[in-house]
Parts: sequence; structure tokens; C-alpha cells
Amino acid sequence: MLSKIMGVFARPDFPLLLREHVVLSAVALLIAVAVALPVALLVRNTPLGATIAINVGNIGRAVPSLAILALALPFLGIGFASALVALTALAIPPILINASIGLREVRQDIIDAARGMGLSGGQILTRIQLPIAAPVIFAGIRTSAVQTVASATLATFIGAGGLGDLIVEGLQRRGPRYCSQGPSPSRSLRSSRSSASAGSRGPSPRRGCRSRRREEVVN
Amino acid sequence: MIEFRHVSKTYAGSDRPVVNDLSFEVLDGEICVLVGPSGCGKTTSMRMVNRLIEITEGEILIDGEPNTSMSGTQLRRKIGYAIQQIGLFPHRTIADNIGTVPNLLGWEKGRIRERVNDLLDLVGLSPDEYRDRYPAELSGGQQQRVGVARALAADPPIMLMDEPFGAVDPITRERLQDEFLHIQEDIKKTIVFVTHDIDEAIKMGDKIAILKQGGVLAQYDTPQTILSRPNSEFVSSFVGGDRLLKRLSLTRVSELDLGPANGGTDGLPRISDGLTVRDALSELMGSGQSKAVVEKDGEKKLLTFQDIEALTSSGAMGGGKRSA
Repeated sequence: MLSKIMGVFARPDFPLLLREHVVLSAVALLIAVAVALPVALLVRNTPLGATIAINVGNIGRAVPSLAILALALPFLGIGFASALVALTALAIPPILINASIGLREVRQDIIDAARGMGLSGGQILTRIQLPIAAPVIFAGIRTSAVQTVASATLATFIGAGGLGDLIVEGLQRRGPRYCSQGPSPSRSLRSSRSSASAGSRGPSPRRGCRSRRREEVVN
Repeated sequence: MIEFRHVSKTYAGSDRPVVNDLSFEVLDGEICVLVGPSGCGKTTSMRMVNRLIEITEGEILIDGEPNTSMSGTQLRRKIGYAIQQIGLFPHRTIADNIGTVPNLLGWEKGRIRERVNDLLDLVGLSPDEYRDRYPAELSGGQQQRVGVARALAADPPIMLMDEPFGAVDPITRERLQDEFLHIQEDIKKTIVFVTHDIDEAIKMGDKIAILKQGGVLAQYDTPQTILSRPNSEFVSSFVGGDRLLKRLSLTRVSELDLGPANGGTDGLPRISDGLTVRDALSELMGSGQSKAVVEKDGEKKLLTFQDIEALTSSGAMGGGKRSA
């Protein structure tokens, strides 16, 4: 069992899928950091702005990943761009929330003391606020990174590849095998599934080899 | 010298000033205590000196120069600043905290290090033990010492202190007050000190400015004068019904002119001459006797209720607090 699972790492397409997955996740995370941190810095001195940022972030977190993918699809079509936009949208909220909260939670008396001693606004930010908020900000980036890597598996549904391909493939393969042990209705289920998935995927250069592989393993 | 000249502060969107036409002077080397009920504008007044709050009307002169003659940050680096909540930087060591302003002023490392060690010694914390600790590892009293040391770091001639001993228990507070007065004898800073506690004001102040609601100066004078001749109903009620006793606390037994004790001192209570007259009175009353023996320079003197009464009726009381 374990060796079968480990076998997936030996597949010839594994490095490619892994690379797709890592690139997609990393780019999404970088863009998210580049968007969320400046926004958090911008609103740090306005309680209202920080509250809005935090709440927008919370609403963002509540939106299911799949829904964002579906939303991106009509605008950007199938492929990397859609997946990137969707993943970035998912990656922003944790960073925005944590950065805003981290900066907001720096005690006011510390900032007052810093101002009173003659630190300028920029010095207060770089020497006091950011270092104190750093653990919270990094925790947000970490949360976001974990979430992005996990959600990047969904990119397979809009043809952006990644390790999600393997998961979906596994699901499709296991279903029929279990069904084949059951009575005859399972056969129709099997065929309908594969045809449904084939239909929904549309033409994709990789699809052909994938289905070939599937047959290889099943047999 | 700090001069307040018709200083007013009105916040935007409000038509009532929080500080109203404030004028007084703080002489070099003196502690001026701003005291009053909450909402009297005492902290606002103090924060206008280093322009953490900008003045609406009037001006504040520092050594004859308006405090607007340089940028706010430059001004603040020349003025020590200590607050009740202390505001130590939690991510920096004690040494780095104290070295904040020297660092901003571009002192070289060795000089900062030496200065930090001197200051830690001055406030009674061993440099070897505390330099590299973080604020969270210190007790409240130790943190306040560090806060004061940090305010003194660049040796500013002027200091602003907003209830700098407010966040500790009464016993520690008293000790910190005594220590600071002792330090002040040497460093002779010009200090604006804010408190809501009239006892602290009387103890710490060379001058006291009593403010009332709306930021109006009710009386500005020495503690002795404020206690003996409050100029209004407000001031006398603010200093409290025990102002006679408070006056007694301004004088120490050692400053009294006592008669010699001629024999027959057996059975009489002994009183240390380092006590304030108020504490001595309390001991005398508690002993049930009408007189007590004070030993001063090996000489035995007699303290009686008459000595204390004489003190309260003469105008010459107090003023010796720093020489104690």
C-alpha cells in the first residue's frame, strides 16, 4: 500500500506537476504579500481603515476557494491566469488580517513614548511597529502559504495543472475500482463518470496521456 | 527656562478649550508640577511643550526661543520624556531602550554604552545584570527606573514627566520619588511633572500649578504658599482638609529649632530626626506622651507639641525639603 502511494513520486509527470503547483502557489503568495502588506501599512494609523481591512479580509476568507475559481473562469478563461487570480484572492485575506491586527495591536503607549523621544513616523514604523508586529505578520503569511498550497490543488478544475491533477485522477480511478466490486449498476456509474469528466475537461494537451496512464494502471 | 505665554488649546470640532490662556514660567533646575482633577488639561499642557500636541493660541518659549523654531522630532530629542505607562520597547534590551535617543543623535557606540551603564547605576540597577535583559523580565518598579533613565539618556536640560511613578505600588512609588529627588539634586533638570495626586505634587514640586476644569490655572506657587494661602475655594478643597498636616510633611524634624533635653528623658519615646514633622506628630500622639526625645549629632533634644504648633502658626515652615 505504502509503496503504491510512494510510487506516485516516481511517475514521469510528477516533477512537472510539482513545478506547476509550486510556481502557481509561490507567485500567488508573492502577489498577495505585495498587495496585502502595503494596504495594511496604509490603514495602520486609521482605526476605521484597519477595521474595514480586517472585515474585508474576514469576508474574503469565508468565500469558498472553489467559488473564487468559478468566478474567475468567465473573465480569464481556463488555465494559469484564472488559477493565479483565484489563488491570490485566497492568499490575501490571512496576510491582510494579520498584518492589520499586528500593527494595530502595538501598544499605544509604546508609540507615544517613541514619538515623545523624537522618532519620526518612518522610524516608528521600521524600528518599533514592524519589529513588534513581525511575529503576527509572519504567522499570517504562513497561514496564507499553507492555504495557498492546499487550494492550488483545485487549479486542476480550470486546467491549470498542479498536483491536483493527481488527486482528481486518483479519485476517478478509485471510484470505478470500488464500484466494480459491486453489482452491475456500478458499471453504468463508471462509464457515466468517465464520460462526464472527459466532457467537462474539454480539449487539453495533457488529457490524452493522462487517460492512457489511467488505463495502464487499471489493467 | 520654560515660559508658557497665553497658551490655549482647542481641539478641532470643539468650541471649548481644554487649556485656556495658560501663563507661567518654570525656572531652570526647578520641578514644576501640573496638578488638577482629570480633564483639567495638565497632560495636554505638558505635551504642548515638546509639541506632541500643537498649540492653538499663544506660545511656549524654551530658553527664550519659541518651541516652534525647529522640527517637532528635533525638539523632542532635546527634551526628556517619561510617561506613566513607561512604553519601553518590548523587542529591545534595556541597554537599547535607554540608548534610543543617543542612537538617534548619532552618538558612537562606545559613548552610548558608557552612558547607559552610568544611567543604570544612577537609577540603582546593576548594569551587568540588567543591560541585556528585556523589559518583560523586569518588575514594574524596575521598568519605571529604566523609563526615567531612558528619558535622561541624552542629558536633556528639560524633562517632561507624566505620572512617571504612577504605575507602581505606594511603597515603591515613595522610594522612586525619594530617589528621583536625590538624583535631581545633582542633575538639576528643568522639569514639568504631571500628576493627579496632590501629595505627590507637594512632595516633588518646587512650584505647583493647580489647574481646574477647562484648563484654567487656579494657582501657581510654591507648595508652602499653596498650602498656607490657597487663593480660592477650589484650591483649598483640592489640596484637602488636611492641608495643615500636609504642611507638616514639608519639614523634617532635623530642621526644627528644638530645646535641649535636660535630664528626665527616661520613658520618653525616641524619634528619628529624619522623619517629617507630620510623621513625628503621629508618633508622638501614638506614644501617649506630650514630648519625645530627638537625638541629633549625639545631642539630645526635646520635641513637644508646642514646637509643632509653633511651626504651623509661623509662616517659616517648609522649604527645606531638598536639604533633608
